Amino acid sequence: MMRNKADNKNIKAALTIATAALLGGNSTVSAETVNSTDDSAWEFDSAFLFYSEADRVSASEAIFNAKKTFEDDEVLNLKLTVDALTGASANGAVAQPNVQTFTRPSGNGQYDVAPGDTPLDDTFRDTRVQINGQWTQTVADDLTASGGVHLSKEYDYLSLGINGNLAIDFDRKNTTFSLGFSYFQDTFTPEGGIPKPFASMLIGDSSDPGWDEEFAKTRIGSEDDKTTTDILLGITQVINRRMIMQFNYSYSMVDGYLTDPFKIMTVVDNDGLAQDYVYESRPDSRVKQSFYAQSLYHFDTTVLDVSYRYMWDDWEITSHTIDSRFRIPLSDSFGTESYLQPHFRFYQQGAADFYRPFMMENDPKPAFASADYRIGEMTAYTLGIKYGRLINNGHELSFRLEYYRQTPTDAGFDEPGVLKEVELYPSIDAIIAQVTYSF
Amino acid sequence: MKNNRLVSINNHQDGYALNFQAMASPCEVLIQTRNRQLAVRVGDVVANEVWRIEDKYSRYDQLSVCSIINNSAGQAISIDKETYLLLNFAEQCYQLSEGLFDITSGILRKAWHFDGGEKLPSQAQIAACLSYVGWPQVQFNPEQITLAKGMEIDFGGLGKEYAVDRAIILVKELTDLPVLVNLGGDLAVTSARLTNIPWQVAIEHPDAHGAGNSSPTDMIISLSSGALATSGDARRFLLKDGKRYSHVLNAKTGWPIQDAPRSMTVVAPACIQAGILATMALLQGENAEQFLTEQEIKFWSRR
Repeated sequence: MMRNKADNKNIKAALTIATAALLGGNSTVSAETVNSTDDSAWEFDSAFLFYSEADRVSASEAIFNAKKTFEDDEVLNLKLTVDALTGASANGAVAQPNVQTFTRPSGNGQYDVAPGDTPLDDTFRDTRVQINGQWTQTVADDLTASGGVHLSKEYDYLSLGINGNLAIDFDRKNTTFSLGFSYFQDTFTPEGGIPKPFASMLIGDSSDPGWDEEFAKTRIGSEDDKTTTDILLGITQVINRRMIMQFNYSYSMVDGYLTDPFKIMTVVDNDGLAQDYVYESRPDSRVKQSFYAQSLYHFDTTVLDVSYRYMWDDWEITSHTIDSRFRIPLSDSFGTESYLQPHFRFYQQGAADFYRPFMMENDPKPAFASADYRIGEMTAYTLGIKYGRLINNGHELSFRLEYYRQTPTDAGFDEPGVLKEVELYPSIDAIIAQVTYSF
Repeated sequence: MKNNRLVSINNHQDGYALNFQAMASPCEVLIQTRNRQLAVRVGDVVANEVWRIEDKYSRYDQLSVCSIINNSAGQAISIDKETYLLLNFAEQCYQLSEGLFDITSGILRKAWHFDGGEKLPSQAQIAACLSYVGWPQVQFNPEQITLAKGMEIDFGGLGKEYAVDRAIILVKELTDLPVLVNLGGDLAVTSARLTNIPWQVAIEHPDAHGAGNSSPTDMIISLSSGALATSGDARRFLLKDGKRYSHVLNAKTGWPIQDAPRSMTVVAPACIQAGILATMALLQGENAEQFLTEQEIKFWSRR
């Protein structure tokens, strides 16, 4: 009864041919399975992510997700995210040919920045805990409803949110129309209080007895808040057995304190030399709209996922995002049900109308101004690869490694004097590494 | 049986379950749709196809093609294309198993009664049956089959799995929506559930209906494409002097295969493939798992 390996291989191949002869050629599709030992238990996902910008911020993030599907297909999803951020972040001022001294946002102490260096505030340190809960259930034939709550807490930030979503299926579920709503209330209590827009940063000896009183003059309060209301309309369409498309439109209104209390701007003279540092100021409302299209295409074994987003707002920021993933199954010699998934993302953004990299001493003071590179003109891309496989009992383990490069670009601002010599638009390189385990 | 030919419809998760009885088994079709009319239609098409195959190939039905062949007493019987293709498939299975799988071996039932008791047949009884076993003696071509008097063929080892595959072919002509066809544990799916979620399939533990011992858990397998079949039946065996005789018989010796797993579940692109691989594995006895492992076939064995 013992056969050698080659003979047994022939049995499998010969049976495939015999089956095709019996059932017709089109019937021999593939078989894909995963086995698990129990059915209705909780499903857990855990992920650990590490993000590191060269010389700047590093973030570690742990995500734990628990999902339970109940008998009538109600789904409860609970997610806990903990992030820890450390490192330095750009404070908004421009590099200078001489040493620059800045006061920390808390008002407690100063830090120096070397000639030619982009000013970074190295006191950036925070831990964030985020909890999300979502309940989804079918309320009628073809109608699924979902509701959720969100809580996010940082040392100086609290965000509370609720959301609701309705999905209606048409045409035997080939078309799904969805309507989403979310509302967030955020409260900001930065250490040192909320700075007064365009007030000059107080620089001097923070141990001086008069310091606290002088510093308080640059503040307008200890906390501020903002609200965000999002409305989303979406349609998902099954095109055929291989292709699904999704289109979303979203409308987002943000009201309240939208300024970054940690960001300042350099006021320069005609030679480009810093004369003053002032706190930035942004409008107290923002209306963002976006259009999003995604297409998922199953080839015989691979899956291509391509999406495009166009965003525009009343700060005159516009952006284009192209994101694509391609999933390639690997043979079992690389791991059970293993796959590789290359990822490419391209992002291009235009600047807000009040963005400027610095202010001129003699120019009239604008209503709003910010030198935050994140609302300036930029391009960015991400290149990544993910490898996933099943390990014992059908649990999935995956690894993701990505490289991210963000390149702020000159939106056409004149660069007086010494500013021609320094880097006004430094690019940022970051590495993202993630391990995910589902069980 | 035929007066019980009804299909019932029930809600099931985000779709419908269509249930009926065929081939002495509970049968179920699951479809992920809210379109009740479509669900009913798919259920009817599947049930009618399964009943058609049952009527045509059941050895219990005196009017079936199978019975006509078995009662032919050496006369040539004309056959249609479907029967020819099934005989051809049986021929391949005989060759690939080196004679261990033989659709003429059903006659050994006359000697063996796997009722859980301890009564073994005598070697003389087995030898008497074995003289009517032997696939090479069957003559067939696309037009007709000739079976020696006293010989019988039995599609029992193929029929249910074949019906699953036929049902899947017919369903795919009706709809692109995800459908699962389960004929008493042998099953196949047309695709993963919508949004690529696999179907969850429970495989009954061989002891699930056994004598009052603590209830063992079913095994859950997620299936996103292809088929799954289980061979082996823990309820059919003989026990003598502490030795267990399984109902899986070696068609060459007429004796049960020794040290075979109690059941074998195999995954393959088509159900009939999964079924024959599971059966062929059991026929390897103690080497059952090795046989499938060497061919890189996914399986779950229970010993």
